[in-house]
Amino acid sequence: MIATRLYQEHLRSVWMRIALGLIVILPIAIGLSLVYKSWPLLQPNELFTNLLSTEWSPVQGKFGLWPFICSSIIVSFIGLLFMVPVCLSAAIFITQFAPAWLSRSLRSIIDILAGIPSVIFGLWGVITIVPMVASLAVAYGATNTTGYSILAAGLVVSFSVSPYILNMLMELFESVSTDLKESALALGASYWQVIKDVLLKKLRPGIIAAFTLGVSKTFGETIAVLMVVGNMVKVPEGLFSAGYPLPALLANNYGEMMTIPRYDAALMLSALILFMIVLVFNLLARTLVNHYYTKL
Amino acid sequence: MRNSFLILACVVTALTTACERTANDQQQSSSDEIQGSISVSGAFALYPLMNVWAEEFRKEHPKVKINISGGGAGKGMADVLAGATDLGMFSREIKPEERDKGVWWVSVAKDAVVPTISDKNPILSQLKKEGITRGELINYFLKEGNETWKNSSNKVSVFTRSDAAGAADTWAKYLGADSQEAIKGVAVYGDPGLAEAVKKDPLAIGYNNVIYAYDLTSGKKYPGLEVLPIDINGNGKIDVEEDFYHDIHSITAAIADGRYPSPPARELYLISKEKPTDPLMVTFLQWILDSGQNFVQENGYILLSDEVLTTQKNSL
Repeated sequence: MIATRLYQEHLRSVWMRIALGLIVILPIAIGLSLVYKSWPLLQPNELFTNLLSTEWSPVQGKFGLWPFICSSIIVSFIGLLFMVPVCLSAAIFITQFAPAWLSRSLRSIIDILAGIPSVIFGLWGVITIVPMVASLAVAYGATNTTGYSILAAGLVVSFSVSPYILNMLMELFESVSTDLKESALALGASYWQVIKDVLLKKLRPGIIAAFTLGVSKTFGETIAVLMVVGNMVKVPEGLFSAGYPLPALLANNYGEMMTIPRYDAALMLSALILFMIVLVFNLLARTLVNHYYTKL
Repeated sequence: MRNSFLILACVVTALTTACERTANDQQQSSSDEIQGSISVSGAFALYPLMNVWAEEFRKEHPKVKINISGGGAGKGMADVLAGATDLGMFSREIKPEERDKGVWWVSVAKDAVVPTISDKNPILSQLKKEGITRGELINYFLKEGNETWKNSSNKVSVFTRSDAAGAADTWAKYLGADSQEAIKGVAVYGDPGLAEAVKKDPLAIGYNNVIYAYDLTSGKKYPGLEVLPIDINGNGKIDVEEDFYHDIHSITAAIADGRYPSPPARELYLISKEKPTDPLMVTFLQWILDSGQNFVQENGYILLSDEVLTTQKNSL
């Protein structure tokens, strides 16, 4: 009897280790296979010309990735610009001001938002955001007045990513003990001063980490962005000009890469770049969170 | 604990044997009736017709399941090569590199890509009278500049496909470019997406497969969308013999007898990784080339000529 139990115990722990191993190996395996596949374009001189060139013509073997990298960064930045004030204010309201019943229903709305597939955000973007941006573009006399632009992409991405950030922020705000708030209030601070000078100051690294994770999510947002960004291979010149982020490049051309020489290497290289960006952002967020917890 | 394991094992064994038995029985009882499933993905151009074919084929063979998804010709090719689907819908010439990979194909119908504009275009009536020449189309689609609509200050908004697409490739070929990347303009995903974008922008120009420009039930162009007539002889007006855009019947007739140029008219293919040997697949493909052809015209496509059709049947 004891032998069986020991045996079962052993089995259980071995299985858990295997499961854990799988999870740990996965990102390494993905990274390595991307490196392997993009190897033909990873030679130093090739890499720099490809990374910094703006010429994209797979049939002629020209794989300039610069427009894609720029578009990705700009779209994420625009997304962040919209997310920060909206998410921060919403999280503060829900955790500090809203009565319990309202806070509960607001939370379920956020959960619903988080569950909506990104293609629906994209579709809605095409129907609503793109025409809105188009009329704005006409008003500002932009060269591209179709509305398919990095601005539209930034807006759509900020909507599709904000539920995740909101969840992280709400958790953060709730982690602060009431003692702290009460002692600040006892010193004569107004409620808003408590939020501004105590909560926000104390939680700053955590808030930054939440947004950093959010940004890395916006980098990967594919379908929603691809549907509204215009997919034009050029470095965006303004808010209303079309762009072509890395994930859209991958999703659009995955069909062609099989047939044109070195095209697969170029697409894998763009995937590798995306992977590295997300990795860096995650490490950054991790460091900030660690920093914050050691201080606590 | 050990007992429960034993019971579980027994139950699993019993279940699997039972399942096997019923499967065997079924196969024996209905050996004359084909069953199984076929997965298809690829070109939007062939997608509506493929749905009709699948439905009609299933009326004769109800035990067959056919799963169809769009995604563009490029996805069809990638899926077939990766073994993700049995058949790919394909709407452009098969490249030498793809031939080298051993792709097998069969022509199943014809259709064409037509230039589309919004019906709210400010100079619509002029455009319908004068048409557009290939040279002007080249200016709009291939040159990076701020082209304007004929004799007006209105800037042209050029739309193209973002996904690897047969329509885009065929359109590029017509304009004398070697691939879809040569087409400039805002790129939108999918054939329906492109039609939608063109409809909404009065100054837009794009291109669509015939089946996404005309409504099959009414035969008329989709509300909001206009097909821009091509001035083939370049004399600055649409002559009687160039005027065949009113409804789907007149345009398909013009494609069939060659009045509409090719490209942008083209053959549509079904592709597979290698020559199909599975009886179900062979039956399905034979059916498409035989009774399936009865549904081609009524669904807005163009029949292959008899000799092409015979060659296709012989290739099976």
